[in-house]
Amino acid sequence: MTEAAVELAKKKRPVEAAPSATGAASVPFLLDFYPLERDDQTRLARFYAALRDGRLTTTRCRRDGGLLWPPRTVCPRCHDDALDWVDLPMRGQIYAFSAVLAGAPLGMEGEVPFVVGLVDLDGAPLRLFGRIEGTPWTGVRIGQAVRVEAYTIPDGRVFYRFRMDGR
Amino acid sequence: MSARRDVAVVGGATVKFGIRPATWPELAQEAGLALFRAVPALASADVDSLFVGAAEPERFAFQSHVAPLAAEQMGLTPHRILQRTELACASGQSAIRSAYAAIASGLSDVAVAVGVEKMNLPSMAEANTAMACVMDRPWDGVHGATAPPFFAMVAQRHMLEYGTTEDQLAAVSEKNHRFANANPTAQFHEKTFAREKLLSLPLVAPPLRLGDCSSMTDGAAAVVLTSGELARRYTDSPAWIRGSGQYSDFHNLANAGSLTDWVGLRRAGAEAFRSAGITPGDLDMAELHDCFTISEIVEYEALGLCPKGEGGRFVADGRSDLGGDLVVNPRGGLLGCGHPLGATGVAQAVEVFEQFAQKVDPRRQVPDPHWALVHNLSGSANVHSLMVYERGG
Ligand SMILES: [Zn+2]
Repeated sequence: MTEAAVELAKKKRPVEAAPSATGAASVPFLLDFYPLERDDQTRLARFYAALRDGRLTTTRCRRDGGLLWPPRTVCPRCHDDALDWVDLPMRGQIYAFSAVLAGAPLGMEGEVPFVVGLVDLDGAPLRLFGRIEGTPWTGVRIGQAVRVEAYTIPDGRVFYRFRMDGR
Repeated sequence: MSARRDVAVVGGATVKFGIRPATWPELAQEAGLALFRAVPALASADVDSLFVGAAEPERFAFQSHVAPLAAEQMGLTPHRILQRTELACASGQSAIRSAYAAIASGLSDVAVAVGVEKMNLPSMAEANTAMACVMDRPWDGVHGATAPPFFAMVAQRHMLEYGTTEDQLAAVSEKNHRFANANPTAQFHEKTFAREKLLSLPLVAPPLRLGDCSSMTDGAAAVVLTSGELARRYTDSPAWIRGSGQYSDFHNLANAGSLTDWVGLRRAGAEAFRSAGITPGDLDMAELHDCFTISEIVEYEALGLCPKGEGGRFVADGRSDLGGDLVVNPRGGLLGCGHPLGATGVAQAVEVFEQFAQKVDPRRQVPDPHWALVHNLSGSANVHSLMVYERGG
């Protein structure tokens, strides 16, 4: 093996098992929804590092100033890769919602029923989709306030979801 | 574009849709059998190209490279163009669009478009995982949502913004299930699908109930398309492809904009009508993508069949039924026929061909149809694909 190949082999650490958010079941890698987040796997590792610090971030194009979601490496409007990381508001309001009462994917069956919705972030032109925790679906209304929270899945990866404000 | 050749669908067939005791290759064999029976003048050696609509065989059937697999199952040896088309729920129409392009350009003379999907698995949770991957998987699918909660949000906003009611949603389901009762290949043959019954079914993703949702279905369908000069060799009633339109403006849900105004469909629809040289009022029938009841309502509006916000009233008043402005989903729709992703778009084209030939069950026969529109959305209504057909005589 060449030195370069040895270096590459060292970097190819195995991907950990992929438990669901509840840790109830682990699923094979190709049935795992969560993004790969290490800096040797994605160019968006800073998103997950910030989330670990309790901040929701994304990229903004330096040329046209537009916020991009999901975070990207190239602005689709300018075709320019000069992007900056910026913090997003951690609060928002529910624009629309529903609930998964049946038919959940593998590893999430134990989480049914759960609420999902689109949330308008306060003071930013972004409407993000995500889980909404903190109340049964029958108690959710359009316009209610939610906050962004980070959560950790059992293998240590981190992701975001919404929680009813004050719950 | 002036060198473009005329293209027609000259025959086709649909296999029985449902929870089928049959594998993906077996469904492809059935589609081949049905096609060659439906088009007696067609010989295997005539077919120079094959387009295979299949959304997720890797997930549902653990099989890649399905184009040559389908060719072998159907007894075809394509020698011009062989390819699989994947566009989720619109994979079947994609096969037809590709065959149309191939023939129009002169690369193909006789092409088969087949759609096959096997969706019912021993592990339905894995099937649900496959459906969630149609969305932007690491950002949207990761939240555990498949299509029902997305279209539920469309319904919720449409109810809020325009006053659309659950009863109007049920009117779509009632109409399409009634037509499905007269279609032997439909998955569902419900004898009593009255609105009261639909409104008592369990919620799947509120406000959508079981009767508002199409189902996970196994099925296949195939059509044969030819150039204009060859069409009469196979049929006396070719269905001419006169126009088409397609538009995609987002993928991640954050970039969807309004949930109730499907801008992509308005644009694709305008292009379809422009290219065919007709207006919405010229249509005698339309196969619209009723993956959910609310979809058909938003589609009436985006296509200009009725004013914005009045789609619920349009269906409740019977204007998309026999005797109305036009007949929408006389096949039974995705709601009544089931929705095998890759097969749906092809089965819709089969319906147009058979309606033009006036050989369907009289309970769903559109009287003397001349213009037909076929529409598929895919994913979270982020892609719209349309084709306009004219009856040849
Ligand atoms: Zn830019």
